[in-house]
This record gives sequence, C-alpha cells and structure tokens, in this order.
Amino acid sequence: MGTKAIQTLLTLLTLVSLNFFLPRLMPGDPLSYLDNNDPGTDSAMLLTEEMRSQLLAYYGLDRPLGEQYLRYLGGLLRGDMGWSIYYNAPVWNVLWGRLKWTLLLVGTATAIYVTLGSVLGAFSAWKRGTPADAGLLVATFALGSWPSFFLAMLLVIAFGLHWQLFPVGGARSPYLLDASRWEKARDVAYHMVLPVAALVLTQFSGVYMLMRNAMLGVLGEDYIRTAYGKGAPERRVLFQHALPNALLPVVTMIAMRLGFVLMGSMFVEVVFAYPGMGTMIREACMARDYPMLQGAFLITMLFIMACNLAADLLYGFLDPRVGPSGAREVRSA
Amino acid sequence: MRQPARTIGGSPSLLQCGPALAGSILLGTLLVLAVLAPILAPHDARTLFEPLLPPSPQHPLGTDDIGHDLLSELFYGARFSLSIGLLSALLSTTIGTLLGLLAGYKERLGYAIMRIVDVFLAVPRFPLIVLMAAFLQPGAGTLLFFFTLFGWPRAARLVRAQVLSERNKGYVEAAQLIGARDRRIMARHLLPSAAPIALPRFIAEFQHVIVAESGLSFLGLGNPLVKSWGLMLSFAFRYPSIMVTDLWVRWALPPGLCITLVVLSLALLSYALEEQAIPHLRAWKSSATLLSQAAYATRSERPRQKPGREGLAP
Repeated sequence: MGTKAIQTLLTLLTLVSLNFFLPRLMPGDPLSYLDNNDPGTDSAMLLTEEMRSQLLAYYGLDRPLGEQYLRYLGGLLRGDMGWSIYYNAPVWNVLWGRLKWTLLLVGTATAIYVTLGSVLGAFSAWKRGTPADAGLLVATFALGSWPSFFLAMLLVIAFGLHWQLFPVGGARSPYLLDASRWEKARDVAYHMVLPVAALVLTQFSGVYMLMRNAMLGVLGEDYIRTAYGKGAPERRVLFQHALPNALLPVVTMIAMRLGFVLMGSMFVEVVFAYPGMGTMIREACMARDYPMLQGAFLITMLFIMACNLAADLLYGFLDPRVGPSGAREVRSA
Repeated sequence: MRQPARTIGGSPSLLQCGPALAGSILLGTLLVLAVLAPILAPHDARTLFEPLLPPSPQHPLGTDDIGHDLLSELFYGARFSLSIGLLSALLSTTIGTLLGLLAGYKERLGYAIMRIVDVFLAVPRFPLIVLMAAFLQPGAGTLLFFFTLFGWPRAARLVRAQVLSERNKGYVEAAQLIGARDRRIMARHLLPSAAPIALPRFIAEFQHVIVAESGLSFLGLGNPLVKSWGLMLSFAFRYPSIMVTDLWVRWALPPGLCITLVVLSLALLSYALEEQAIPHLRAWKSSATLLSQAAYATRSERPRQKPGREGLAP
C-alpha cells in the first residue's frame, strides 16, 4: 500500500509538471493571440513593446521558469488554478460552468450505455450461437467502429437537418428565461438527445462484448450446472445466479471507461457546439490560453486517475478472491 | 443451452472464419489502395482546380473549397492515416515486446522496467496526447514518437506476464541446463510464446492510433500540411454549409467511412484471433476471464478433462 501511495504521488507530480512545461514549449505566447503582429490572428489590438512587457509582468510570465513553476505548484495546493487569459475569469469558475454540462452529458450517456450494453450482452450470451446472438454481434461491431465525431456529424445531418426531429446544437434554447422549471428541463433534455445518442452508440460495444464474454464464462461454471440440476427455472438461474457474477467485471469497467467517455464527449461536444469542457478546450487551444488548458487537463486527468483508482478498489471489494490490484489486469488489456 | 461456453477444437464454423476473412480482405484492400495511391488517384493531391466543382469524369467526387480533387485527397490521405497507425503500432509492440521479455527474464532489470511501465499506465494517454498536440503542433515524426511513447508499456506488461509464467517451465530450464545463453533463450524459446500476446496488442494499438490521429486532426490539432482522413473531415466540418447541401456526401462521408472501415476490419481480426487462440490465450484474455486466477485455471482445464470424465462415468 505504501509503494502504491508513493507511486500515485509520483504520477501526480509528473502530470502536474508536464502540465506546466508543455505549454511553455509551444511556439508563440498568449499575447501573440491578442497582438496583431502575429500572422494568423485577426485581433484588432495593437500592442506596443511597453504594453507587452507590462502584461507579461502582470501575469508573471516574465519571471524565471523555476519561479513560475513553484508559484504554480503553490497555487494548486491552495486550490488556485490561475486566471484565464482568454475568458478573463478565474480558471476554476469557467471550468466549473462548463464541467456541469459535460458531466450531465457523460453521466446520462453512461447510465444508458451501461444498461443497454449489459442487458443485450447477457441476452446474447444466453442465446449464444443463435441468429439473434450473431445479429447483435455484427451490429455491435458495425456500431463500435465509428469515430464518435463522425457518427455525431451523421446524426446531425440525419436527425437534425434532414428529418428535423432534434436541435442541431447547443444545450438549450435561447429566450426561455421566463419558462417554467419543467419546460426548461424538457428543453435541456431535448437538446441532449443527439449528443447522448452519439456517445451511447460509440461506447456501447465495449460493455456489450465484456458482458457477453463474462456471461459466457459464468454460464460454464459448476454452480450454474448445480442450479439447473436442482431444477431452478431458466429465468431464475439467469437473473439470480449468473447475472450478478457476470456483472462484476462490468462494474469496474464502468469506472475505468468514464475517462474514455469523457474524451469521446469532447469530440461530440465540438460537433454539437455543446457548451461543455470539450468545446472549451478547443477554444482555449485556439487562443493559447495556458492557464485554462492546464486547468482543463489537470481536471480531466485527475478525474480519470480517480476513476482508475476507484475501479481498483471496487474490484477488490466486490471480488475478495482477487487482491486489491486485481483490476489492473483488466485495464492493461 | 447447457453445453460448455465454447467448444475447443473441432472444425471452425463460419462464425469463426467469417470475421477473420472479412477483416483481412477489408484491411488488405485499403492497404493496397493506399500503396497504389499515385497510380489510382486521378490527380496529385496538391494540385488546385476550381473550388467546389460538382462530380465529373475528371473529378469523380468533385473538389473542395480551395480546389483539391476530393478523390485524390482520399487516396493520399489513406497513406498517412494507415502508415502512422501501422508504424506506431509496429514500433510500440516491438519495443514493448523486447522490454517485456527482458523484464520477465531478468528479475532486477524487470523490476525497474515495471516501475516505469506503472507510471505510464497510470497516466491517461489520450488527454496527454491532445495536450501535447495543442502545444507542440506536431509533425508526423513527433506524433509517431508520442504514440509510441505511450503505446509500448501496455505490450511490455502483457508480454512480461506471459514470460513470467513460461520462465520456469521445463523447456526453458532444459535450455538453461545445456548452457544456452540468455539471449538465445529469450529469442528462441520465450519470444515465440509471447507472440500470440503481442499480435492482438499490435491490432489494438493500430486501432487506437488510427482513431486518435483522426481525432486530433478533427480537433484542428494535426499538421495542416499533411493529407490525412481526419484532416479532410476537419476541413469539411469547418466549411459553413457542409451539412445543408449534399456536399457532405462527397467530402465528409468518404474519409469518415474509410476510418470506420479500418477500425471495423481490425476489430474483426482481433475478434477472430481471440476466438481462434482460445486454449493459449484464455489465461491472458481479460474480458472472458475476469473472475479470478483460480477460476481461469479450472475453466481452461475443464474442456480437456471433460471427455475423460465422461469416458470414465459409465
């Protein structure tokens, strides 16, 4: 446990350092976006040399790199992620405003794809070798291969533009200020349909395959034969004996896949112009807003690492036969 | 309903053969198209024609908003997308396999290598690659470097686990006893046992890189001077009226479908591999054998025991 803690700390420090040094390797600086002298930007602002150095000093960008690094670490420890240059607001405030939307999207999509994937996976394993199983397998392969942004584009074209069933972008309609709470919620849900569908369709295959394989393994166990042998009805064997055991790996997989879904949602958000973290990261990239990007990636990586850790712990808790590090074998595959 | 989960041995059914066949044909076709791009493409991908031409015999898919022939872009894009996927998968699997072999065979060195692997595996790689791409605006070489840097630890870990389980077996000890050198034991005896593990890893890596590269390009973080499928999609997506006219059918659909087909063919191949190599891969295959070490052992032995048991019963 001790080595594990040290290792986690080391990894964290590596991430934070990478987070700090990578942006500083980049050509250009945050002011070149504001500055008209830099080709490729169309800002109307002209900075004199004096204003430049003043701004650099104001943001602490003129200090030696080591000092900037220590300040950054100190700030992080106090929960201060810096001030966004592009949005002109504290990084955490901007981040939290966007994170809410992303979490809503990712949370909803996760709930749906996990349910759908495990139900269909279990069904497929139960009906193994039948046309139903083969059909589901083929459909899963076909769906699981689409890059999320491409699928999202197709959804926009088909359901947003061609049939005009759902809004093509955004998270809510403008001018709904005096609507009732219920109407607002409905509006948000309505806007979420297509982005969530894109995420569910691309993420679902992983859970389906895992559930199908786990269920196939469980169905060959002795206790299943015993259950059949003592005359338990098929339904009971499936739902009471097989399913809980087959769900074990799925539970840990959910935690580990949250990170993937988060990245997937980044692409989907960009396509739907959804006001979440994904679109924000893109904007921050364009504007070379270091503090904003650093904050966004720090949060993303912390989130993913927390998920992985949770998966490790959860697995040891759910299946005492395996040590606390059992889930690692899953992740590395 | 109650037969063992899968039958081992016996003639492979169509469900077992089909995916492998379909996958290799699909991937093979795409690879051939990429290699033959200079012959097959109607024009050079960099030549400019009139922008937004409709389809015609000269330009079967028309041209884009600055006048590139779309079909030629598709052919040349295949070269970059496939070669970066293939190369980085090859590099990271090779490096990973070699280091995994060393780590499994040499105890002390192995400990050091595995600590490095642990750190790499704890780092979420895609966000980091996006971050890197955003800041460094990488060319093909840098991209290749980063994909490899984050790709090898997975292969190393799997191969090491395999070597650890093989290292104390009779044939390795026999080789040691007759005085074979370490290098020979690793190359001639342990490497073949690791190959069935490295191959699926290679496919998974290929898949990951193809999708990641196109994703990066789509976000506008790729190198805008290189032709790739992701970049085509990215430019198409940024063109204002792409979705309301039928332009997307010629401009966005083909590269998107190509990426999808590559990923699909690789998925089919890895599925077929898993299914074919059951007895050996069972212990490795994570998805089917998550329950416990003990559970794997009994499960993978059962099919072999079963005929004997039944034979004895009457």
